[in-house]
Amino acid sequence: MNGSNITPNIIRFIGLVAVQVLLLNQMTNTVGEYFNVLLYPLFILFLPLHLPTPYLVLLGFAIGISVDASIATWGVHASAGAFSGFMRSIAFWPFAPKGGFSAKDPIFAPAHVGWQTFLQGTALFMAFHILWFFTFSYFAPVFGWDILKKTVASWGFTMIFVPLYVAMFNPKK
Amino acid sequence: MERTIWQRSQLLSLSHLSPSPWLLQLLLRNGGFVTFLLVEIGCFAIMVNFETRHKEIWANTTGIFGGRALEKRQMASDYFSLYETADSLAHIVDSLQARLSNARQVQVSIRDTFFLVNYDSLAKTDSVRRKTIRPQYEFITAKSIKNSIAGTNNWLIINRGSKDGIQADMAVVSPEGIVGIVRHVGTNFSLVMSVLHLQSKISVALPNQKNAFGSLTWEGGNPNEMTLRYIPQHFVVQDQEPVVTSGYSLMFPQGHPVGKVKGSPKPDPENPYFLEITVILSQDMATVRDVAVVKNLFKAELDSLQLKISNNER
Repeated sequence: MNGSNITPNIIRFIGLVAVQVLLLNQMTNTVGEYFNVLLYPLFILFLPLHLPTPYLVLLGFAIGISVDASIATWGVHASAGAFSGFMRSIAFWPFAPKGGFSAKDPIFAPAHVGWQTFLQGTALFMAFHILWFFTFSYFAPVFGWDILKKTVASWGFTMIFVPLYVAMFNPKK
Repeated sequence: MERTIWQRSQLLSLSHLSPSPWLLQLLLRNGGFVTFLLVEIGCFAIMVNFETRHKEIWANTTGIFGGRALEKRQMASDYFSLYETADSLAHIVDSLQARLSNARQVQVSIRDTFFLVNYDSLAKTDSVRRKTIRPQYEFITAKSIKNSIAGTNNWLIINRGSKDGIQADMAVVSPEGIVGIVRHVGTNFSLVMSVLHLQSKISVALPNQKNAFGSLTWEGGNPNEMTLRYIPQHFVVQDQEPVVTSGYSLMFPQGHPVGKVKGSPKPDPENPYFLEITVILSQDMATVRDVAVVKNLFKAELDSLQLKISNNER
């Protein structure tokens, strides 16, 4: 990351943590337990494509632990964030052009990869994140059915909010 | 060929490592997986230390697995000490069997009553209140290391000899029944004449028939059956009645299980005043393994008395 693209990422970090904690988690409390919208993984999703995996894992952990610290869910979001950082390249791999992403694609955003590829990659990326999050949130295989139900519901709601976010902010770097 | 962004970024990141802390260098050099693994371990530690629900589930799970692991370790430890355990149990069985047999020997009723007292039946003083127990038998545990049942005269070899106190003419029993009589004694091993031997003749009794006693012999054939003779005709012996040792042989202690009566007795064709009874042995001779050699502590004295009887009859 050079200086020109650090700033948007810092802003995204703070903004997404704030939206997650102050708005989306409050909506979960108001609407119901199945209404779990997780937007903060978009910070990991929009990190530069050339960033090595260890950095992605550490930054994923950083945003996760920030959310955890704000809502006292110690370690659960941090774990899911680190996992998403690790899995990002795997989630994008099926949708990457032959030979991988080039220098023309600084981030995985509709402005660079197109809406279809973006939504497909994001859908897979969010599925990884949300499944890991609820698995560690329940923390016992006996809750397998609850984990699955909540993962599906949360993934559905999140995938509605993702295009809204992108339409509002149109991230390019 | 143009390098991808990813390949270039990897090279760039590795070429500018010198200012990075050594841990970060290590993480970068070993790829994302190690970083991921370490971070996840950290997250796991945070979860199970700070999240109440996770802490409880973790404590419960580790408790279960820890308990199972301890149980397995104990089982393994027990397995390796089985020999000592078996040896110790064999000695306990010895002592209990001796106590049981000796107790049977001396339990007699008080005159004209149903009450039983421990009475030294061999004592010279005739006191019904005397409660001294004088042991008559000792049991020496042994293992059968060779056995035959298919011949007309069958033998066993046990892993005890004169070094262990074995002498000829000692009875050999198992917890289930009778096995044979020691005939030849080596230093470490002994040869036992099996009950499945044409010369074997064991004094047994029928406890349901007021301890009427007879002689048990094997006539070849079925290794699970022996023939009981010299039970007078007037006894109504039932199928499945127990048969035990009479205690008259000086070798077998009284009341040791022998087997059960099979079917209805028939008159003995050789001597019609007596019955011929088929007895099913309670000890399957094909599976004899752990045995005890019975040592009668008064055998020498009793033998010398028997000799006098024989001399007087001549």
